[in-house]
Amino acid sequence: MTATAGPAADRVTATPRGALRRPAELARDLDVSGLVDAEGGLLDRAVFTDGSLYRQELRRVFAPSWLFLAHTDQFHKPGDFFTTYMGEDPVIVTMDRGRTVRAYLNSCRHRGARVCRADSGATRNFTCTYHGWSYDLAGELVSVPNRDGYPGSFRTGDWGLVEVPQVASYRGLIFGTWNPEPVPLTEYLGDMAWYLDAMLDHDPDGTVVVGGVHKWTLDGNWKLAAEQFATDWYHVNMSHASALMLLTPEGRRPRDEIVHRTGRQYVGDNGHGAGFPVHPKNRFDERAVHDWTDYAALRARLGDARVEGPLTNGHATVFPNFSYLPVNGSIRVWHPKGPDRMEVWAWTLVDRSMPPEVREAQRLYNLRTFGPSGIFEQDDGENWSEVQAISHGFITNQVPLNYQMGLGSERHDGTYPGRTSELYSDAAGRGFYAHWRELMNTPAWHEQEPTR
Amino acid sequence: MTEGIRVASLDDIPKGEGVAIARELTGTADDIALLRDDDGTVWALDNTCTHEDAALADGWVEGGFVECPLHSSRFCLKDGEVQGLPATRGVCPHRVEIRDGGVYLFPNETP
Repeated sequence: MTATAGPAADRVTATPRGALRRPAELARDLDVSGLVDAEGGLLDRAVFTDGSLYRQELRRVFAPSWLFLAHTDQFHKPGDFFTTYMGEDPVIVTMDRGRTVRAYLNSCRHRGARVCRADSGATRNFTCTYHGWSYDLAGELVSVPNRDGYPGSFRTGDWGLVEVPQVASYRGLIFGTWNPEPVPLTEYLGDMAWYLDAMLDHDPDGTVVVGGVHKWTLDGNWKLAAEQFATDWYHVNMSHASALMLLTPEGRRPRDEIVHRTGRQYVGDNGHGAGFPVHPKNRFDERAVHDWTDYAALRARLGDARVEGPLTNGHATVFPNFSYLPVNGSIRVWHPKGPDRMEVWAWTLVDRSMPPEVREAQRLYNLRTFGPSGIFEQDDGENWSEVQAISHGFITNQVPLNYQMGLGSERHDGTYPGRTSELYSDAAGRGFYAHWRELMNTPAWHEQEPTR
Repeated sequence: MTEGIRVASLDDIPKGEGVAIARELTGTADDIALLRDDDGTVWALDNTCTHEDAALADGWVEGGFVECPLHSSRFCLKDGEVQGLPATRGVCPHRVEIRDGGVYLFPNETP
């Protein structure tokens, strides 16, 4: 199912505040225009390490952006729920009695504990284990023990769960934003949707997720991972050399089409990015999946450019922190946990029409390559942690990083939607940080009016 | 009322679930919750939890107990006695009979 919760009561700004007034100094703004030189391809390492910048990111990058929440396949009946994060804000995603998927801040309005501590499941209410305030599937406060102890002015209608005002889905992927009046999700994705469809739109039945969610923690700023998935094929033959050799038959050298890859990199307008080889023999999919796939049907449905491009292999990021690997069936979120740490939450995605043995083959393939102990995933995590481990050094932190590959190469190539660059390029990375810079320097919706 | 009141079909109540029967039909002070244990047995208790205003028919039924959906107070399906905080008082039980796939309720009769 697909559902969009309409703009609900904005409980972030409408909540009773009494005499509370936040001093402006709690949220000082840093001008980041000197930290990102997207035009010259240079980046200041403070964007990975500074605590003030990190807090500003939560306010201005995560709070206003569309963020991935869950897959629609995780909700089949009212009360099914999944708990996740938007930035560092804990949220419950659930299906209400009208079968609409909605999301709420997972924090009791009384003393602030989480009202749902499970990862996922089915429930009828969300009850705080601290004092027992209980909320229904619509987020309404339905039970307050010792209710008579509150003053006559106390109204339960004022103290429902804070709802994520905008929730929308695209081909099974559910996104939400705290911004009550965002650009629509499809507009936000723009041309990125064409690339996403190479994974999500193989057949009219769409996709389902397999099993649960793998979660692991890495030392490293969340942007290191998000940026790489947007822009970086460059590291593949170096970082993943051992994995690539492992996949090469004994005594043989790696195939030319793997070593000398050509391809394109999509450079999205809102910080999105995707890279993919275009050699028709440059296949990287699982054998059982490959044998099952009806490529003629895919060509008719998605066109040759997608079948010979993003469907062969690749990487992508939907800004800010949702990434995927179209051929491995991995979708993941890089949850920020302070400037120096991230949590990776990864799902395995399969086509609904796949028979059980093909689903299982895809699941195992994703696990072997990009599961928490996957032969490729291990290499990536090691790199990000390595970058982060030394970047707090005083001198180190001041030495800029180079994002100049493919400078000026972005163009409309006539085949792929939007602007593209070369496969080996930092173009989408420059776009990622240019959009980050713009958000960081733009007051978000919650700053438009002084807090009441 | 020796025949009892036919209030539901057995098939209407999945194992582990409950349904509420309105007091207008039962003539009782409270609605009555028909609760079907995971072994298939059907029991009847006053529907409203004695702790806060919650329907036990919406609760979790398992292993001889019903757990309130709001604050997890537990009641014995057989006699309505409270078995777990935060509730401190039990709920009234009622007798139930199953005949020909129908659920017959005997309000205020001891099971």
